[in-house]
Amino acid sequence: MPMADVGVGVGWRSEIAGVLADLPGLRFTEVVAESLAGEPPALLGALADRGVTVIPHGTRLSLGGAEPVQPARLAHLANAARSLSAPLVSEHVAFVRGGGVEAGHLLPVPRTRAALAVLVENVRAAQAELPVPLALEPIAALFDWPDDEYDEAGFLTELLSRTDALLLLDVANVYANARNRGQDPVALLDRLPLERVAYVHVAGGSVRDGRYHDTHTDPTPPEVFELVAALCERRRPPALMLERDGRYPPADELRAELDALADAAGYPRVTT
Amino acid sequence: MSPTDPGGGTDPRTAAGDAPADAGRAELAVRQAELVASLVAGAPVPDGFDPDDLAVARRALLRKRAGEVRHGWPLLASSYGADWPETFAAWAAGRPPAGALRDGWDLARQLAAAGTLPERAAAELAGREALARYDGRSAPRPRRLPAARRVGRTVAVAAFGRVRLLSR
Repeated sequence: MPMADVGVGVGWRSEIAGVLADLPGLRFTEVVAESLAGEPPALLGALADRGVTVIPHGTRLSLGGAEPVQPARLAHLANAARSLSAPLVSEHVAFVRGGGVEAGHLLPVPRTRAALAVLVENVRAAQAELPVPLALEPIAALFDWPDDEYDEAGFLTELLSRTDALLLLDVANVYANARNRGQDPVALLDRLPLERVAYVHVAGGSVRDGRYHDTHTDPTPPEVFELVAALCERRRPPALMLERDGRYPPADELRAELDALADAAGYPRVTT
Repeated sequence: MSPTDPGGGTDPRTAAGDAPADAGRAELAVRQAELVASLVAGAPVPDGFDPDDLAVARRALLRKRAGEVRHGWPLLASSYGADWPETFAAWAAGRPPAGALRDGWDLARQLAAAGTLPERAAAELAGREALARYDGRSAPRPRRLPAARRVGRTVAVAAFGRVRLLSR
């Protein structure tokens, strides 16, 4: 694994950069690759300088898209990894555009053999250009395609075994998908190749229109922390991080949420 | 779980599991374009999808966009207070996202043309118009020469990347 026994962290965003700078035990964070242009922002560079691992996280490669991955986007992600001396990068099992139109969000790919073949080709093309290992993150989806041939665990297992990619497991997405499909999230964990988990995302959400939405703008619900604990009982991931993408809470609330994550995972708190 | 037979139209090389996927790409491209058009451009629900699920997804995408535009256009969004998500969604439904900067710009221009843009938001728009040239179709580009633009009662004067607002 590129990272071993690193503990808990939180995703770097400029709005909460001051909170992150104030976490004495922080050993890793993640930055949205598309937000980087040229030199990293000063506060992020300062974290990297003090030895905090920074993982570039792509959101718009569209690995699950019908088109080959755009070389400029791939080069940008590769450059981000080099400039931050990152031990790995991550992207999603998703597509974000179709017919030349941007969706503005991560959309699920059909879980068919044909779509899997395209995804595998795109992932391999990305791996060939990246200087470090790639971890793939399954998304939270509000709908499924009508012609799925695999279930989620079967599809992911096949994808990872064909590409040798690592898994960025988003526990909140596991929770959201299981809840919205009326399934047991722990049963899904038990079918995933947990030995391939490079790190974990945890985030909050809210219920609207009768579905659980993985918003990243709400506090992490207790059910997601319980799922983190269930995951760590089975196999504790090397690193887990909170994601927040808007409606940023006061520093104390964010620190308390980070402590709750550390406690659920059995890692030391990073706030003191 | 083993996959079931996907039926006709599948490239046999693809069905073999681990080979070039050209035919698969062509069909996937069509289906992904149909789905994106349905989610963000007002096209009908593609065959087989659950219309309720897609309606929920469509609303979620609009809420997310409204949040992003609020971030980029704080005075525009705050002028509408708690009504911002609905105000934005009513305008954005059926319009593909152009990114938060352009989405907010397009909406503010439309409201200004209709004479309904609140004054604080007009000042925000005037500042942006003075600082950058935006053709409504591609990414705004910073102006190289000093410029002045008026929106509502505000005149914005920009030079060398800085802007001053003068209220009339």
